[in-house]
Amino acid sequence: MYKLLSAFIGVLITIMILLNGVLSQKLGNYASAMIIHLLGFISIILILIIKKIRISLSKDLPLYLYSGGLLGVFTILFNNISFNLLGASLTLALGLLGQSICSLILDHYGWLGMEVVQFRKEKLIGLTIIASGIIVMTLY
Amino acid sequence: MIIAIVVAIAAGASIVIARNINSILAEKKGLLASTFFNYLTGFSLSVLFLLFSSESVTQTYHLLGTVPVWAYLGGLLGVAVVAISNLVTPKISAFYMSLIIFTGQLFTGIILDYFALGLLSIGKVIGGLLVVVGLIYNLYLDR
Repeated sequence: MYKLLSAFIGVLITIMILLNGVLSQKLGNYASAMIIHLLGFISIILILIIKKIRISLSKDLPLYLYSGGLLGVFTILFNNISFNLLGASLTLALGLLGQSICSLILDHYGWLGMEVVQFRKEKLIGLTIIASGIIVMTLY
Repeated sequence: MIIAIVVAIAAGASIVIARNINSILAEKKGLLASTFFNYLTGFSLSVLFLLFSSESVTQTYHLLGTVPVWAYLGGLLGVAVVAISNLVTPKISAFYMSLIIFTGQLFTGIILDYFALGLLSIGKVIGGLLVVVGLIYNLYLDR
């Protein structure tokens, strides 16, 4: 079920990148990033109003828990820089490498709310196949 | 060059860290409340970035009408992506989530290319299949 939802997220992201790409071609990278966040912000506010959900700040929560949105803007900035210097496919492949390494570390140590999934040497075979797939995709 | 490579890898890492931070906030405050804070902080910072960038705000304002309306729907899809990710992130390992999302992206891309442009990239299909095979092998090891 959750794996299926993950695949669905991937479908949404592809369509989203396509649409946001059109926007950034017309408006520029940073103007489009602002517009995209503004539209998202307005829609989540509307959803909260319709569902009558009240928002409150909890003082007992560590501040870094509110930093997810800030990181998202840095993702856009980093992708823009890399895209200009390295091109699209290398940016995509290196980004995926970054996601994989970061995910494996979070899983292995159980950081940021993850259940501990120890890294096992047998998984290197699967990782090698995955990496070769990404290389094939990047080259063609 | 090295800096560009590090920046590209950091872009990927930032996606995973943001996803996890948002999902912890979602467990404390609710899926939609966490999504709200994601957009509150993200919108504020994106305004700052725009002001410090070389892009002109007044020019942007005049260009808004030239963009087809459907291109603005990406912002709404982003909300769905953040909210659903908040739900899924605590349930499966970060690594499998990253790879399954990537596989979904890859095959949607292949299908869109095929139906919209009539293009079928054999390299992407073979590469994508290899990613899926490696993923299934590792998922099998975890059983």
